Amino acid sequence: MSKIEEVKAKVEIGKTKLVPALVQEALDEGSTPAMILQAMVDSMGVVGDKFSKGEIFVPEMLIAAKAMAKGVDVLRPLLAGDSETSLGTCIIGTVAGDLHDIGKNLVAMMIESAGFTMVDLGVDVPAEKFVEAIKENERVTLVACSGLLTTTMPALKEAVQTIKAAYPDQKVIVGGAPVTPEYAAEIGADGFAPDAGSAAVKAKEIISV
Amino acid sequence: MLTKKQNLLETIKGGKPDRFVKQYEFLNMIFEAAFQMTGIPMMPGPTSKDIWGITWTFMEGQIGGFPVHDEEHLVIKDITKWKEYVKKPLIPTDDESWAPAIAHANAINRNEEFVTAMYAPGLFEMTHHMMGMENSLMAFYEEPEAMHELINYITEFELEFAEILIDRIHPDALFHHDDWGSQISSFLSPSMFQEFFVPAYKKIYGYYKANGVELIVHHSDSYAANLVPAMIEMGIDIFQGVMNTNNIPELINNYGRQISFMGGLHSGELDFPDWTPERIAEDVERACKANGKSFYIPCITHGGAMSHFPGVYEEIDKQIDKMSKEMF
Repeated sequence: MSKIEEVKAKVEIGKTKLVPALVQEALDEGSTPAMILQAMVDSMGVVGDKFSKGEIFVPEMLIAAKAMAKGVDVLRPLLAGDSETSLGTCIIGTVAGDLHDIGKNLVAMMIESAGFTMVDLGVDVPAEKFVEAIKENERVTLVACSGLLTTTMPALKEAVQTIKAAYPDQKVIVGGAPVTPEYAAEIGADGFAPDAGSAAVKAKEIISV
Repeated sequence: MLTKKQNLLETIKGGKPDRFVKQYEFLNMIFEAAFQMTGIPMMPGPTSKDIWGITWTFMEGQIGGFPVHDEEHLVIKDITKWKEYVKKPLIPTDDESWAPAIAHANAINRNEEFVTAMYAPGLFEMTHHMMGMENSLMAFYEEPEAMHELINYITEFELEFAEILIDRIHPDALFHHDDWGSQISSFLSPSMFQEFFVPAYKKIYGYYKANGVELIVHHSDSYAANLVPAMIEMGIDIFQGVMNTNNIPELINNYGRQISFMGGLHSGELDFPDWTPERIAEDVERACKANGKSFYIPCITHGGAMSHFPGVYEEIDKQIDKMSKEMF
């Protein structure tokens, strides 16, 4: 097995202590930083699929993402300024009036693992703050809004519509327990995902359209 | 007509109930004895601390409190050093503290209802309340020994509390919270759950049952179908909070003689400001017809005999009465 294949395999099973050294060995073996990064992104794609299918659970997804992050730490100095490797910036937050952050954090982690640069606005985020963040950050390709409560679904709608009013071409993805694909379409979102694994897939799909 | 208690027992034993059990009607909860919940806010107000030192916030407009998990407020900042951060709280033992709970328990007709001890947060919840969800879930992989020690320590506290509680109010039932999943999956795999939590809960629920508690009702308003065999092993009699994502009819078919299911009426879909009696009627009818009369208790999924918005809980009761007339 080549070192890059080992990186891929160890990220998938969350070997946080082994991955940094394997990444270095893959570099030494001649793989480029971009190739290694892509291998890890592919691993996280497998992890996301397994999570969506119920084959693995949140801890397994978390340690895989942590292993990838450790690998990215090794690559970062070599990737600096290389915009080719990034899918752009994704602004994420839980909408106004909603303090739930676990699902949002998992989605952030998986979208980051898919190759986006994340800007996490946290929880209880007013609609205007999403707009400000789009303005303040470079190359925002996606905004992800989360809402867990039935009572905060109107805030989700407000967030999407405020973003679209300010930036009509901005791609927006939504999710959260009460959100359905129909509701996402009704409020003008470009996409919906039922879980963190499929959110990463959907995020890539949306920005490629 | 059977008493509430008799009707519940007929329902969960596959006997002959004479009506649907109406949500939480059979559990008379002695909240006055829930000393372990001291400091956890039940309504919006200022930031507070619970007895383990966890900081809580309950903002205006929210329907529940949240533990605060910024760096400053995390109770366990490093799981390998948990002993430096976590100290078992003291449980009151004086007569004065227990008098209201004892008076409440004594006022209950035990043939009619179960005198019920209420315990929350549960073991899994305690781990993530103290260190944040992501830290906690990763620690099961990265520092399993420390997690085992921490869970044992919290279990010891629960057992010490149970000893005093049983001595004071002699509960007939235990209503125990511990949310084990999201609406679509369990947080932990069944094997990890088996390793970390089943032995601890066997001790806790076993202790209650060995000391006069007839009924263990466990709340987890989530998907947890993959954990039902573990629930049976732990000694749970009723899985409260069961969501429809679990496929309740299938669970009843597979496990009904060993455990009963209480829920099927999702809080998020029924308990909100613009609720309507029509929507509730439709959903109660669906739940009662789909899940049937044995091993099933129609109930709002959240963990208590109340609703967040006025009238919802009572309307559900009313519609269950209607379905009882139609189906019994």
